[in-house]
Amino acid sequence: MSAGETLERLDLSYHEDAPRIRTREGVELYCETRGEGPAITTLNNFFMTTPTWRVFTDELDHNHRIVSYDLCGHGESTHPAQYPTWEDHAADVAGLLDALEIEQTYLLSTSISTVLAREVALRYPDRVKGIILAGPALGPKGMRRHRQIQRAWLLTLENHGMAALYSHLYPEVFAADMNEELGTPGFLGLRESFLAISTAEELHNGLSLALQGETSPELLAQIEAPTLVVIGDDDILLSTTGARELAEKFPNGSYEIMPRAGHLPFLDDSSGFQAIVAKFIDGVESNA
Amino acid sequence: MPDQAPAVRERIRALLVDMHGADSFVSAVPDAVSLREAGVSSTSLVSLLVAMEDAFGFEWQDDVRPEALRSISSLAQHVVAVRG
Repeated sequence: MSAGETLERLDLSYHEDAPRIRTREGVELYCETRGEGPAITTLNNFFMTTPTWRVFTDELDHNHRIVSYDLCGHGESTHPAQYPTWEDHAADVAGLLDALEIEQTYLLSTSISTVLAREVALRYPDRVKGIILAGPALGPKGMRRHRQIQRAWLLTLENHGMAALYSHLYPEVFAADMNEELGTPGFLGLRESFLAISTAEELHNGLSLALQGETSPELLAQIEAPTLVVIGDDDILLSTTGARELAEKFPNGSYEIMPRAGHLPFLDDSSGFQAIVAKFIDGVESNA
Repeated sequence: MPDQAPAVRERIRALLVDMHGADSFVSAVPDAVSLREAGVSSTSLVSLLVAMEDAFGFEWQDDVRPEALRSISSLAQHVVAVRG
């Protein structure tokens, strides 16, 4: 399925009857669950909300339990006076699993939320059955380039606003093929989605947090859970060689390259991405 | 030169009705109201932008400001401006 066909089915609306799950004192998270089977918990990068995952998990939910939620401080979840730390966000994942009575889950992370996946795996290793890092913001030698890009995005947001931030990140995040396929109407239409999904404050808080925390790749050696790195070969934030080297940093790491996909490979080929994730989970489950 | 905006607005509304149906909310959306807030999805907006290119014989540019896409009125103003 092409990016254009997938995006035609993109639904940003919230479900009024979806539960709010209490994870910490004063924190309730908007949450949606679908399907039965091994649990997959989606971790939003700071530009995504729960509804956006539906179209990217609509085949995985045939055989898996999909858990999606809005990060604290984003979307329909609690917006506390003080924006959460990485530790708080990780505690929210553990609290969510407790409330849903999920002993272990796979973490499906993307871009900046791959850092959150790392934090959850380090702090709550018994709760993590496997990790998918799609377009990681982690690097095999460090995170300097990612931090520089995130800092540039933050500066654009602060100085020029959300529409300028969108123009800045669009060619960095989306693959050339997708860019050509969607053309200017797609660029402008996706900008409407981008502006509708988040507020400037939410993005400022998220990008500010992205500039904090540990950057050492040596931390990855402590993560025993099977870990799959998925990148597009048109991801300008991490090379295919970098993806292989990143996977090698994990004791049980592997990697997959998606042709002509960008930094968010599930956008370019939703079905192909879901097939890769399903195959990875099948492999882990069969070895359990 | 006569004011082209009313006819352009009418044509844009007709394109929306073609996409959503005559009984849909778009037939009664006031010209100046935000299409997003009225319930027009981003996907529908993309379809509308493509249809407008065909209907009015111009091509959108990446540097169009978000305000131009806000409502039927602002879309019509953009069309009138690019047509000179």
